[in-house]
Parts: sequence; C-alpha cells; structure tokens
Amino acid sequence: METLYKIFIDPFVQMAAAPDFLLQVLWEGLVSGVLYALIALGFVLIFKSSRIFNFAQGIMVVFAALTLVGLYEAGLPAWAAVPVTLGVMYLLAMTVERVVLRPLVNQPDIVLFMATIGITLFLIGFGEFVFGGENKIMITEQLGIPTGAFELEPFGGFVLIEQKDLTAVGMAIVLVVGLLIFLNKSSMGRAIRALGDDHQAALSVGISLSTIWVLVWFIAGVIALVTGIVWGARAGVSFALEVIAYKALPVLMLGGLESVSGAIIGGIAIGLLEKLFEIYWGQPLLGGNTETWFAFIFALIVLLFRPQGLFGERIIERV
Amino acid sequence: MKMNGISKTLAAGIAGAVLLAVPLAAAEEIYVPNLSYRTGPFAATGIPLMNGQRDYIEMLNARDGGVNGVKIVYDECETGYNTNKGVECYEKTKGKAIVTQPWSTGITLQVLPRTNVDKIPILAPGYGFSPMSDGDVFAWAYNPPSSYWDAASMILNHISDGDLDKLKGQKIALLHLDHPYGKEPIPLIEAMAEKHGFTFLPIPVGLKEMQNQSAQWLQVRREKPDYVVMWGWGAMNAGAITEAVKTRFPMDKFVGVWWSGYDGDLKAVGDKGKGYRSISWNVPGDYPVLADVKKHVVDAGNSLLENADDMNTVFYQRGLVISMILVEGIKEAQEHFDTKAVTAEQLRWGLENLNIDEARLEALGMAGMTAPFATACDNHTGHGGGWMLEWDGTQFVKASEHIMPDRAAIEPLEKAKAEEYAKNNAPWPDRSALPCGN
Amino acid sequence: MLYRTAGQFKTSYQSDQALFPVRQDAFLLIFFLLLAYVVFPLTASEFTFKALLVPVLIYSLASLGLNILTGYAGQLSLGTAGFMGVGAYACYKITTIFPELNFVIALALSGFFSAAIGVAFGLPSLRIKGFYLAIATLAAQFFLVWLFEKWSWLYNDNASGAIEVRTMDMFGLTVTGPTASPVVQYYFVLVAVTVVFWLSINLTRGRYGRMWKAVRDMDIAAELVGINLMRAKLTAFAVSSYIVGIAGALMVFLWKGAAEPNLFDIPLSFQILFIAIIGGLGSILGNFLGAILIVALPVIINLIPGMLGLSVNVATLEHINVMIIGALIVTFLIVEPHGLARFWAVIREKLVIWPFPH
Repeated sequence: METLYKIFIDPFVQMAAAPDFLLQVLWEGLVSGVLYALIALGFVLIFKSSRIFNFAQGIMVVFAALTLVGLYEAGLPAWAAVPVTLGVMYLLAMTVERVVLRPLVNQPDIVLFMATIGITLFLIGFGEFVFGGENKIMITEQLGIPTGAFELEPFGGFVLIEQKDLTAVGMAIVLVVGLLIFLNKSSMGRAIRALGDDHQAALSVGISLSTIWVLVWFIAGVIALVTGIVWGARAGVSFALEVIAYKALPVLMLGGLESVSGAIIGGIAIGLLEKLFEIYWGQPLLGGNTETWFAFIFALIVLLFRPQGLFGERIIERV
Repeated sequence: MKMNGISKTLAAGIAGAVLLAVPLAAAEEIYVPNLSYRTGPFAATGIPLMNGQRDYIEMLNARDGGVNGVKIVYDECETGYNTNKGVECYEKTKGKAIVTQPWSTGITLQVLPRTNVDKIPILAPGYGFSPMSDGDVFAWAYNPPSSYWDAASMILNHISDGDLDKLKGQKIALLHLDHPYGKEPIPLIEAMAEKHGFTFLPIPVGLKEMQNQSAQWLQVRREKPDYVVMWGWGAMNAGAITEAVKTRFPMDKFVGVWWSGYDGDLKAVGDKGKGYRSISWNVPGDYPVLADVKKHVVDAGNSLLENADDMNTVFYQRGLVISMILVEGIKEAQEHFDTKAVTAEQLRWGLENLNIDEARLEALGMAGMTAPFATACDNHTGHGGGWMLEWDGTQFVKASEHIMPDRAAIEPLEKAKAEEYAKNNAPWPDRSALPCGN
Repeated sequence: MLYRTAGQFKTSYQSDQALFPVRQDAFLLIFFLLLAYVVFPLTASEFTFKALLVPVLIYSLASLGLNILTGYAGQLSLGTAGFMGVGAYACYKITTIFPELNFVIALALSGFFSAAIGVAFGLPSLRIKGFYLAIATLAAQFFLVWLFEKWSWLYNDNASGAIEVRTMDMFGLTVTGPTASPVVQYYFVLVAVTVVFWLSINLTRGRYGRMWKAVRDMDIAAELVGINLMRAKLTAFAVSSYIVGIAGALMVFLWKGAAEPNLFDIPLSFQILFIAIIGGLGSILGNFLGAILIVALPVIINLIPGMLGLSVNVATLEHINVMIIGALIVTFLIVEPHGLARFWAVIREKLVIWPFPH
C-alpha cells in the first residue's frame, strides 16, 4: 500500500508542493530535449536521403566542437574559426561520401550501419590524435553567446534560466525552421526528399546521388556544430560527449526515422519525461540514474502500439 | 604538436643511450610499468598525474643515472580507465614488472587476487580498496599515504571542526562516480552517519552523465543537503563544479576528495568556484625538487608537458610524490637486500618498510610537499593525513592545518572488511610465507 | 590440386547432404581441431592463452549466439553484451548460492536465465522490425547494465560493486580463480565451445535453422507458407541468448576473473557485432575468422612500432590504434561486405577448379 502511495500519489504531492522546483525540472528537461532533438535531426536527414542509419552523428558533434575550439586555441579569432570549422565539416562530408558511401552503394542496411560505426571509431582516434584527450572549454563568450542567467521568482520560489540555454533553444528553433523551409521550398531540398522516397526514380530524373549525399552529410555537420556549441557551453567539450548520441536513438524510435517534426517532438518529449521520471520516481524509488534507460523503455512501449513511431511513414509490407 | 611528442620521445631515447654509455651505469635496469590513461573521458585528470610520475623518474635517470646507479625504465600501458584493458595491461607487463600501478580502483580490485599468485606488489597511492591498509590480509597491496576512508574521515573532521557530533541532524550528500572508485567511501560514511546521527545521501553520477549532471543537481536542490562531498574523476569534476555554480550551491559547503581538486577543472569556472575545497595529501608550491625536474627533464625537452607552467598544478606535483614513494620503496629494498636491481618480492619488503619522515623529505627537496608517513607490516597505507586546499579563483592554496583521519573509528571497519574480502575470495593466501620484519 | 573433388561420387541423397560433401573440408577441420587440442596447448605461453586463444574462443561463441539471431533469423540485435551479463551474473549467483554445485552444471543453468530475459526482450520483435528493433534491443542493453549496477543482491552487496570469481575445482583440477592454470582453463573453454558449436551446426541445418532462414528472407512470405512467426522468432531469441549467456559466464569465470557492470556496456555489444559481420552473417565458420581478426588486430598493431624501432608515446599509439581499427572496419566492409567467410568460400572455389580459371 505504501509502495503504491509512493508511486502514484507522493510524486504529484511533491510537484504541487514545490511548483518552482517543478518548473526548473521542466526547463532542464526541455533544454536537454532540444539538444536530443538536434542530434536526432542529423540522423533523420541522413536516413531520409540515403537510408543510412548514421551512428557517427554523435562523434560528429564532438569533432565539430573540438575543431572549433582547437582552431581558436591555435590563434584564429572566433568569427573566423566558425567558417573554417564549417569548411572542415564540408571536407569531412566529401571524404565520407567519396571513401565510404560510394563504394557501399546498394549494400544491405546493416553493412552501411556498421560502416558508420567504423567512421565513429576513426573519428574518435583522429580527433584525439589531433586535439588531445583533454577536456576543453567551449569558447562561449568569444562567440557572443550571453552567459548570464535570468532568475524568475514564481510561487515564492526561484527558477534559474541560463541565457546560454535560452540561446540554445533559440538556435535550435532557427535551425529547424530554416531546415524545414529548405527541405520544402528549395529545389535541392525537394531533391533530398525525392531521393529518400525512391532512389531509382530520383536518379532517372537527373538528381545526382553524390551531390545530394555530400550536401546532406554537410547539413548534418552543420547541425553537429550547432549542437556541439550549445552542449559544449553547458558541459565543456570532451569525448565523453559522444555518449549523448545514444540518447538520440530512442528519440528516433519515438518520432519515426524519417520525420523531421517527429525528431523535434520526440526529442522534447523524451527530454521532459526522462527528467520528470528521474526526479520524482527514479531517484526516490529506484536509486537514480534511470536516465540511461528510461527513454529506451518508454520508446519501446510506445512502439509496441505504433511500430513505425509516432510520425514515421506507415509500413506497408508486400510479399 | 604530436610530432613534437614523438621527437621528444626520440630525444629521450638518445639521451638515455648517452647515459648508458657512462661506464658507471650498469646494464641493470628496473622495469616500472604504469597503467596510464591519456585517452578517453578520464584523460583530462589522468594526463597531469602521469606526466608528474614520468618526469620524476626521468629526472632521477638524468640527474643521478637512476637509483643507486640502476636505471629505471618507466613504461606506460594505455587503459583509458577501462577495467578490461587495465587487466590486459597487467597481464602484458607482469613478466618483467617489479610493481603494478593500476591507476583505477576498478582495475586494482581485479588484479588484487592475481598479485598474490604472481607475486607483484600493487602500488595504489591514494586510491584502491581502503581495507588494503590491512597488510596482514593484503600482503601485496599498498595504498600510501592515505586511503579513501582516511579521506572521508578527514573531510568529515574538517567540516565538523573535529567534533562529528556537531553534524547531528544535518544532511551530507555524497556526489560520486557510479564506479568502484566512487562507491569506495560509502561504507565508512554510512557507519559514521549511524554513529553520529547525520543523514547520508549518496548521489551517483553514471559514466554517461558525467557531462550532464542536471538531474543530480536538481536532486541536490530538492534535498538541500548541508554539505556536498564529491568523489569525482575525469570529466565529472568539471561538470559538477559548473552545475554547482549554476544551481547557486554555496561553494564553501562543497568539498572534494583529492582526485576532485584539479586546477584544470576549476579554471573553467574561475572566480565563481572560489571557496571550493578539496582534501589533499600534497600541497602545491615551489619546492627544490621542481627546479631539478625543470632543469633535467622539462628544459631538456624530455617531458610530455605541453606547458611548463603546468608544473605548478596540484596533480602534476602529486604525480612527482607518487613516483617518489615508489623510488623510496626501491631504495629501501636495495639497501636491505644489498642489491641493485631489486625484484618484485624485494620491492614488496621495501614498500612495507617505508619511512618517509621530515628529514627524508628535506633531503629529497620535498619538505612540506607531502605529509610524512611510515608503513609497517600491518599498515600498508601509512595514514599520513593531509591538508584542505581551497580554490582562490586562480589556483589551489593550503587552507587548513595538517588534518588526521579518525583512525580509531576506521580501523575496526577496515579489519572487518578485509576479513570479509578474504572470506569471499577463499582460499585467500595467508602471509605465513612472508614474515614481518626482517 | 589439393582441393580436387574429382572422384568423390555421391550415391545417395544422404551423402549429398552430408556436412562435408568434399572430403578435404573434413580433413581441414580435423587439422584445425588437432591444432587447437594438441599443438596449441603444447606450445603456447601463458600470455598467448590469456590474450589470444581464450578470448578468440569466447568471442566466437558470443558471436555465434548473435549470428543465430541476426544472421539466421534476421533480427538485428545491439543488446548482446547485456545478455552476456545476465549469463555471467546468473552463474555468479548460482555458484554462490550452491557452492557445492559442479561448475559445468552452473554454467549450463545460467544460460537459461539469459534465454528467458532474451525471450522477454524478443517479444517486441513480433511487432517491431529492422532498425526500430535494433534500437529496441538497446533498451535491453541499457536497462540490464543499470540493473547490474543498482541491484546489489546480484553482486552479493560487494563493496566494489564487482563480481569476483572464487576458486573452484573440478575433478581435482582448479578451473576458476587466480590459481587456475591457463592450460586447464583453455581446455575447459575449448571443450565448451566445441560442444556448443557442434550442437549449433546441427540446429541450423535442421528444421529450426530452415525456419529461421525463411523468416529472415521475408517474414510475411514465411508466415504465408505456414511458419509460425512467433515460434520462429522467439526460439531464435532463446537459443541465441542461451549461447550468448554462456559466453558471458565463460568470459567472467575463465578469462577475466572478475567483472563490473561496465564490462557489459555497449562497446562489447558492438565488438561482438563487428565479429559477426566481419566474419560473415549466417556463417558458422565466420565467427571464428571474425574473432581471430578482432582479437589479433590490436595485438599486432601494438607490436608494429616496436618492430620498426620507433618509440611512440602510448597515448598516440592508442589513438592511432582506434583510427586503424575504424578504417579497417570500413575497408573490410567495402572489400567484402559478406565477411571473411565469403572470402574463404571464394578461395576454396578457386582451389577446387585450380589450375583452370572460370
């Protein structure tokens, strides 16, 4: 009886008792959710256009952030380091397309998936080789990101909202809106979607596979850089960041592998729910650290009812 | 940058070859492997320590041609703080090694039973399994100058001004890495909480959440502990300190173990981290030994340090102290067995008969750098105590008198846990084959 | 010439379907068995046993388990390490609760626990497919590792949170623990691996094997010809997890000697997946080839600078190591996406018709 009380009633009593704290939990959840969504967005773009489940998205985040900080440390001013980093990401996209993707066209999905794990390992080794394994500080201020905090005082308590988190949310919104416009309005964007729908048909109307792949991997690189900047501003830049890539996977399950809006909504939903679960159920009842698996189990349960995710394309099977 | 590292190493090789050409230096060598981690999420805190360890030995090789004329070959095997790889490194190096320095509590725990069979002493300065202090059970394991339980006790002593009953009714949270290392102090603090009536709240940080501890710090905010004690390592330290600043947790209520007091972690927050304290068994400063290291290693281009200023950090200097402890053990063994190239078994005796007093430290140019201590047959730790360091916004400074752990309270627990360990790992060899004393 | 098949006639369907329709294949197998059972134990050093031979055997066993699920039944799983952990922890609990029990029985029993957990996490496969299922198996991976960490009963409330293997004897020989001799451990693992492989070969060639392959190739079609999908998928999960669990228990008890939850974290899952894919999905032989490659590669890479007389900083070496492994994985996939087993098949084909080209 007491256990039932602890599971079903006590958490809500606590939420009501300290609404300012609840708001803070929700804000923290929202910010991590936005970041998960950004990583998931990179996955979705690549999956949409090439059916490749790109495991390397996580390490691309680390790599982009490290390159930015590394260039700055090497003496480039911040305003110049950003475009140079973008150039590096473009080079990376081109190399990946040339060296890995092109020879593997038409291979089974699992082989391509494995190849992206190979890319991940390579980038980990390469990144540590060039930039060293030490924890680096993101050049937040030099990039002009405000570092102060707003302190709100609702319900007699306080809620702390950091300006860099606000910036993160803002940047994410801009990025998503821009991306949606690009995908829906520009001819390149339509070509990406066409390629995702049917490779053969897209090729036969003259869409260049390699151009689009380079483009898509480059956009994924841009998203990675933005993610790296905002996440790095929160927690510093190091290879430990790579593990957040795993968090994007349940987001993808929940949102559907092909859906841009699914990635956004799924990311935010998972960010909020896992934080709420951890604070009000995980820590008091299960010994904490439930954030490692909550998102996966939650997505799994949703998937049992909707096997293609909330926003995925309906799976039609034919013999 | 990396080419530089390679050329440095090559230069070191050439320098070593020149040294060997000196007729005095015998062909004898002592092989001292280190299970280091210069890669992975823990590299940030590992690198300065390993640089210090390496440079002290290189300094001796360059200045004195080794220890009593025997060159010490310092070798690193990369583990990435991964227990799995660490055990592989142990297996790989144990053939010639006279000591194993596992550098992670997880690896220490796994190689502990094997060292009894392979007859290699474990040297785990300031880490490892606290009951290793009980030399009657753990004949081959050493964790001088202080164990984690000593650390927990010193921290509690310090925050309560020496009277633990003052903590009655208060709440102390332990923010710890969810890893054997982070769990190490829990049994002691639990026992203390029960005895002195304070509430103990462990808050684990998983390896995947080190960089993003918002959930943990929300818990801190909700639970409102009077003190947060941190057992963090690698990227976790920087993450925790940033979050603490963010949640406005008062820095003077936030205390770390010695591995959570790295300059690099606090530089990220700078002034906002002012008041953060960390227990330590070495005090950073300007000691005569540093001049020798600078002259013979750093200026000679034989150091892996990227910046000579890093010599002033707490961790680099702690690395020097760690190698000093090992070298003193070698010296004791050389003297006692009247031999140059000591074996693993002789070093075991040496480590058991360490006597690092003020005079010895003075002679080594390390007076005041670390606390004097002596080991014995039933005391493999030495329990030298330590000092509280405080971050003043730019560096760590000494912030307390010499603090000692409450040994009377710790010892029974150590004995009990050591016995329990031996029972769980039966048949655990007794040390009748390794008599005490001479 | 060596592989000439001329003169080997089949006079019945039975002999045509034999495991080794070509005599030379059987000779090769006997040769390798002799190598494993006689030559290696006589010549190998302790380091070779612990760093090469035993790991190859255990990894190939785990890879076999995964291969049955992914290569034969077509269900992609990223949770292998979690199931290995279940086997290891189950074996640990069994040996501590019943200290008198023979280790072989404890080992065999522990597989049932991982099989049960495997079936539980395999249930979603009835509804979820492809990459969605792969991510779903990650749920098992993360949840199980968390459980190993938090449920202190599993590691007998040990202060370190790790499970430690105590010394156990069998027929007068010490099999586990720090005092066990590497040769004894090697033989133990070798026999276990031989038995499981022999059973698996028979299983995959029989009714269940064909059922799994039909489901892999197209599950709706399989269902239409009367194959019970639920039974096919769940048996694949059960058999696969059983083997993987045993591999996990062997890994902890006869190789590592102790284990903490992190051992069973996701990198191990990926490592096993590499072995299965590089070796060749849907191939029994591939498991060995893949395991040999993955175990031997880092050892060889570490030896190279020493042979060239270069002294490279360990950290740099480790970075280069990771880079090379990543690059090699990509190269292997490009050169032979069907794995080393296919590579061998091509060579064998060439040998059979040698000296004539196609």
